[in-house]
This record gives sequence, structure tokens and C-alpha cells, in this order.
Amino acid sequence: MGQLLQYILNGLAKGSIYSLIALGLVVIYRGTGHLNFAQGEMALFATFGAWWIHDHGVPLLFAITLAAALAFVGGGVIEFGLIRPAGKKSPFAVVVVTIGLFQALNSLSGLLFQGAGTGLPFGTLFPNKPNDFFRLPGDAIWRYENVGVLASVLAITGILFALFQKTKVGLAMRMVANNPDSAKLSGVSTTRILMLSWGISALIGAIGGALVAGINTNVNLATMFGVFLLASAAATLGGLDSPLGAVVGGLSLGVVESLVSNYPKDWWASSYVGADTSVAVAFLIILVVLLVRPAGLFGSSRVERV
Amino acid sequence: MNALLEVRSLRAGYGAVQVLHGFDMRVNEGEVAVILGANGAGKTTTMRAISGMIQRKGSIVFDGEPITRTPPHEIVRMGIAQVPQGRGTFTDLSVADNLRAGAYVHKGIHIESDMREWYDVFPRLSERREQKAGSLSGGEQQMLAIARALMSKPRLLLCDEPSLGLAPIITQELFAILQRLNTENGLTILVVEQNANLAVKIAHSVFVLETGSIVASGTADEIANDDAVRKAYLGY
Amino acid sequence: MPTAIKESSPPHWLARILAVAVLAALALYIASSAKPSTLGNITEACTLAVAAVALNLLLGFNGQISIGHSTFAGLAAFTAGYSVNFWRWNPYVSLAVGLVLCFVLGLALGLPALRLKGPYLALVTLAVAFVWPTIAAKFLDKKVKASTLKGTKLQPPTWTGLTNSRPDRAVFLYWLAVVILVLAYVIVRNLRKSRIGRALVAVRDNETAAAVMGVNLKFTKTVTFGISAAIAGASGWLTAARLDRLDENSFTILNSIKYLLALFLGGAATLAGPIVGAFVYYFVDDYLKTHAPTWHWLPGPISKGPVASFLLGTIVIIFVFIAPFGLVGFIKDQVRRVFVVTPRPLKQAVASPELIEHTSDATAAESSAQD
Repeated sequence: MGQLLQYILNGLAKGSIYSLIALGLVVIYRGTGHLNFAQGEMALFATFGAWWIHDHGVPLLFAITLAAALAFVGGGVIEFGLIRPAGKKSPFAVVVVTIGLFQALNSLSGLLFQGAGTGLPFGTLFPNKPNDFFRLPGDAIWRYENVGVLASVLAITGILFALFQKTKVGLAMRMVANNPDSAKLSGVSTTRILMLSWGISALIGAIGGALVAGINTNVNLATMFGVFLLASAAATLGGLDSPLGAVVGGLSLGVVESLVSNYPKDWWASSYVGADTSVAVAFLIILVVLLVRPAGLFGSSRVERV
Repeated sequence: MNALLEVRSLRAGYGAVQVLHGFDMRVNEGEVAVILGANGAGKTTTMRAISGMIQRKGSIVFDGEPITRTPPHEIVRMGIAQVPQGRGTFTDLSVADNLRAGAYVHKGIHIESDMREWYDVFPRLSERREQKAGSLSGGEQQMLAIARALMSKPRLLLCDEPSLGLAPIITQELFAILQRLNTENGLTILVVEQNANLAVKIAHSVFVLETGSIVASGTADEIANDDAVRKAYLGY
Repeated sequence: MPTAIKESSPPHWLARILAVAVLAALALYIASSAKPSTLGNITEACTLAVAAVALNLLLGFNGQISIGHSTFAGLAAFTAGYSVNFWRWNPYVSLAVGLVLCFVLGLALGLPALRLKGPYLALVTLAVAFVWPTIAAKFLDKKVKASTLKGTKLQPPTWTGLTNSRPDRAVFLYWLAVVILVLAYVIVRNLRKSRIGRALVAVRDNETAAAVMGVNLKFTKTVTFGISAAIAGASGWLTAARLDRLDENSFTILNSIKYLLALFLGGAATLAGPIVGAFVYYFVDDYLKTHAPTWHWLPGPISKGPVASFLLGTIVIIFVFIAPFGLVGFIKDQVRRVFVVTPRPLKQAVASPELIEHTSDATAAESSAQD
């Protein structure tokens, strides 16, 4: 029992980061129907930015905040300068731009930050010494760091949901997502809302990147590949246009990954399933879900007309 | 009379295809104007040109201000609200949120009291205020679309084929409401309709649009007495 | 005014024959005079080109995006390495089997593609590409992973007069790569120019309209995925033939991204685009990798970083705006200012009733393609 709890708690911390990046994908997808393949690398670049600022003597929390703020601006600039003009050409052009950005931002990180390839040390915001944990029933432990990551992500998610549901800007974002023409006719500047969506997406990506780097105590050029993939899987699982789906998808994916990588060792004693293949199993589950519900668990499928 | 909307040599279209070939139109303050026309005559294009949803050339003046180059979200602020063809409600949003969306251009505390006012006019919306707009019936959605447009407190309401796909009895109810909005609230309304008989009954002035040009215009009585127009559009 | 040339008229044929002759002469000249290392580079560029050609069939002509093509290359490469080393298979048999496996896996991946739209499909292929190295690492032990077609396993046949010495082997692998690339090109070209090709493009441009016109969506999409996967497999086999060792990181998502960027650079939906793109991509990358570190005008750390990949990623983004059909599209536009090829008049078709049906079908598909 304690062990099960243990694995779930470990999974939730990782899963919360997936859900954060997945939320970033969803925010952009809802606005424009585009999938941002560069989401992970945008977050990576911002995380290197945070490292650089911190390296110049700024406390880590402020460095991350500053980097996230800059990422917010950067996200808006990318939307305005690249995505929007590309979108006027074709949806396909946007795919090309985001794939180009994926490579350009990753290698730009490599160019600007010396030692990025092998990795730069990244501090953590939470106590992570070997005995920094709560003791839970059944010999389970809950590391302060995991508690901290989960709590921060839930707090940010809460703020985002409040923004979507309770504020005027959030209403405008939902209007644009649901019916861009009627949003315009109701006085919403859709262009500004799309810039804002990319800004928010980049901002939460930056926070997600910093949290990952904190857990790894290191940031390198490959840090965000896996996280982005699992986040995109989480968004797919939940439904690309559902923020709630992103959160549920991310958390459950983290837990599934943690359970699959730990349990078979005890249960099946199989050499074929284990830590390395946990990701594969997670993806298999998603594939099955998609075959049954092509728009994900919480996504809405729209009828296409000729 | 004071012209609220004045259109001169309006040309507009989609990409390389020109739909409107330059016509003049004038809607006076406080009146109901109707545009009649067959499918493809350019009725919807006219509406979209006025509300700024498509590129247009010529001149559109609203209340003395030129709006030919103004983007749609600013035109709403100036006091023109459009009920697009096919309702255009926010189907994933609740009825209440749809009304709040309509009031997007306004700030503050009046919004909730405005909402109550329109719930009184459209009691069926009041019963369904927490329901998603997509779950409403066609007639209810049309009411919602109008209520939403009214939430922006427009001086000119554009209605694009409000009767489309509605049962006759609902359509009559709808036109009664439009007429009341005009007489009681003094709202200026420009309606595009295929259901010409009903529309001409509440209209002060009528424009007949054929393949992108206005071929006849006048007061409702004049048009109803014009043999050619009567035969073609009113069917008697 | 550009000069008009009728399609399939003598001048058009002359131009075609001339182009083929020049390319063939160039290939022969390179084989006879280039250093083994240069031949190795060209072989590698051809390998990339084959994968880009595969992707072009799927993405450029059929509109299905795959970020998982590295998986097919990997599958064929490991199949070849394993079967040749442990079952003593003939390497060409291993190629055939690898292609069949890739085709089947492609079909299997094409099946969800029937239900999934745009971004969801991209994410599924992304997932497959991501899972592949993990599976490869888990299921293949070190010995298997390392096994390729090196050394005596794939020797030049005696009729070529080549020995298994290093320079001769380079020539042999070069010809293998050239032949596979030409075959891949011809397959895709013929598919594109045929009735099937018009169906592919119709599906790309408007699925529902294509279905209404009588295109079998399921068949078209899954089989395209299968063929594209098999061609990508051929690229993987070439990798296994050329390299001394492979491991699970030989075919990652970054390879898939490379195929995509090479395709975009040369021009998606053009026949020559993926080949031109792959060669430019490979040689720009190669040149910058060796030369950028010596550029003293660049600050030291930057010149030693991934200059090439930054530049290539950026160029692809810029191309979206200035050359949406890549280098080939750009060159074509320039050529069109001088020569225009006018299509064969439809009158010829009236002669046979069978052809009338064929052409009307085709024009319907093409007209929807312009939507």
C-alpha cells in the first residue's frame, strides 16, 4: 500500500509538469488550431535564460520570474512576427515554422550558452536534501521537492483557470477559441488575444522548464525533448482544446509512467517491461484512447464541412 | 431626417471576386430598413462590409464618422452590432457568458443589470442561463444572438436573415420583438431578409439588391406598390 | 514573354533527355574521380535524400504529416543488421524483408491516421518516433544493436570488377545509394503523375470533396503511408550498409526533424525538392561543421557551437515567407520566366472513350486540388 502511494506521489510531481507544458499547447491550439512543435524548445531557451540571469548574481526565484516575463514577451513576438504571417499563407506553413523554430531555438541555446550541450548546473527552488521529506503511512515518503513542484503547478493552474473563467480577458480567449468571427463582432481584437495566448503559453512553458531543470539540477539541450513529448501526449490524451483535459492528462500520464516503470519489476519480473519502456506503455495507452475517442478524453470533435 | 448610416459606392468581395459593385444606401436614425434580395445578391456581403469583417472600398459613414478602414472590433465600440447569419452564438459558452461576451466593449456594473433587462425581454433565455448555448433550439439561439448583440448597446443593429431555419411562428415572434426594439427603445435596425412579406411589414425603408447592385429603393409603401418588385419578392 | 514548350513535344523530350544525361554523366564522373571520403559524404546525402523523398510522398503530396519516419529507417536498419549477422541472410533479402516490415508498420500507423486529423496524427507519429529508441534499446542487446552490414557482409558483386578494399567499397556504396535514390524518385514521380497521384493530391486538398468524387480515402491514405514508410526503410538500410555500428540513438526524433527540414528546404510537393534539399542540407551542415570553428570573426564559443543547425533551421523559417516551395519552387519560378511547358491538349483524349473517362476524372481531381 505504502509503495503504491509512493509511486503515485512521485508520478504526480512529474505529471504536474507535463500538464503545465500541455496547458501551454492547449492555450495555443484553442486560439488558432495550431500545434506548437517548438513549445518545449521555447521553454528550454527561457530556462537557459533563467540560468544566465541567475549566473549573474540574481536570486533564482527572481531569475526564473524575469525569464518567464521575457518569455511572455517573446511568445507574443513569435506569434506576431512569424506565426501570424505564416498562418496567412497556409496552416501547413505554420507547421514548418514551428518545426524550424524547434531546431533554431535548440541550436541557438547551444550557441549562446557555453556548455549547454553537456549541461549547466541548475538550482532548485525547493529543499532537496536526502532527508527533506514527509513521512506518510506505510513507509511512503513525500519529498519536499515533489510537494513544492506539485503545489506550484496546481497554484499556477488555478490562476490560469481563474483567468479563463472569471476575467474579461479569459472570456475573450474563450470567445476567440469558440467562434473567432463572432468574437470580432463582439468587439474582441482577436489579434491581440492570439498574441496573448502565445505569451501565456511561453510563460508557463518557461516555468515548467525551470521546474524540470530544478528536479534534474541540470539543464542541457536535451532537457525538454522528453518533457515536451509527454506533455504533447498528455494534451492529446485530454483533448487538444480542453485545458481541463491537459491537467488530467498530464497528471494521469505522470502516474501511469511511474507505476509502469516500478511495478512490473515486482509483479511480472519481466525483463521486457521496466523503467525504459514505461514511456512506451504510456504512449500505447494514448494510442488506444485516441482510437476510441479521436479528439481525446475531454476534447470536442467538430463536424467538418466541404 | 438624420442619416445614421450612409454608404456610398460600396465595393467589396472575397479575394479576386467582387460581389458588391458600388451602390449607395442610407439608413436614417430610428428607422427599420430592410434589404431584400435573392441568394447570391450580396446581402450578407453588405452586412459583413458594414461591420468590417471583409475588405471594402468606397465610403461607409456611421453617425458622421467614416468607418471604411476601421477594424470590426472598433466598429462594435462605435455602436454597430451585427447578428451574423446562422446565429453565430458561442456554442461552448453558457447563455450568461454569451451575454457577457456581448457586453465585451463595456466596463463595469451595468452589465448584470443589462442582462436582467434582456432576460425580461427573452424569458426563455433566463430559464436556460447556465446551459451551453449549443444546447438551445434554433429559435432560442437566434434570440440569444440578438440579446448578445444588444448587450453592446448598439445604435444600429444589423440582422442577417434572422428567420433562417426557424418555424413561421417563431419568426413572427422574432419580428415582433425587432419591431418593439425599434418603437420602444428607438433602435435603428437594418435587416437582411428573404422572408420579404414579414420584413416589409415592420420596415420604414426597403432596398432591393440584385447581383451586387441596388435596383430599387424607397419607403416600404412605395416598394409594396412597385409591381415588378412586388411580383419578384413579395409574391403577389 | 516566356517561350512556350508543349508537353511531350520534341523540344520537351530533348530537355528531359539532356537533363538525365547531364545527371548521369555527373554521377559517373564523381564515381571515377572523387576521393573515398567525398563518395562517403555523397552516399550519406543520398541516404538523407531517400528519406526526404519518402516524406514528400506522404506530406507533400498526400498532406499527412509524420514525425516518425526515423522509426521506419531504424526498423529496416536493425532488421538488416540482425538478419545478416545472426541468420546469415543475403543482405538484399534483408533489404526486401525490411521494406515489407516497414510497409506493414506504415499501414498499421496509417490506420489511426484515418480517424485522426492533422495535429493528432502528427502527435501519434511523434510518439512512435519517441518510443522507438527506447524499444530498440530494450529489446536489442549490445551485440545486435551494433551489427551492421560492414566488412564482408555486403560485398561488391564480382561483375562490377570492384574489390572489398576501402576505395572500391566507397564506390560500390555510392552506386547503391544512387540507384536506390533514383528508384525512390521514379516510384514517387510515377505515382504522382498517375491517376493515383491525382487522388493523393485531391485527398490532401479536401478530404471530403475527394471522397465525394469517388476516391477511396482509407485505401489511399493507408497505402500512401505504407509506401512512404517502405521508402524510408530503404534509407535506413543504406545507413546500415554504410556505418560500422548503429545504436538506439541512430534513429531518433532528431533524424525525423532532419528529414522534414531537408524536405522543406528543397521544396515540399515538388518532385526534385527533397533531393535538392537533402544535398543542400547535408553539405551546408558538413561545411559549417568543419569550417565554422575556424571563423575568427565569430566569438570563440559560438563558432564551436551548432552553427549549422541554427542556420538551417532559420533558413527553413525564412523560406516559408520568401520561397514557400523551397529551392526547387524558387528555381522553377525563375525558369518559368523563360520557358513555359504547356500541358498536352485534351483533344487527343477524345479519340478513345476509355481515355475520356480517365481525363474527366483527372481534371476533376486537379480542379479540386486548386481549392
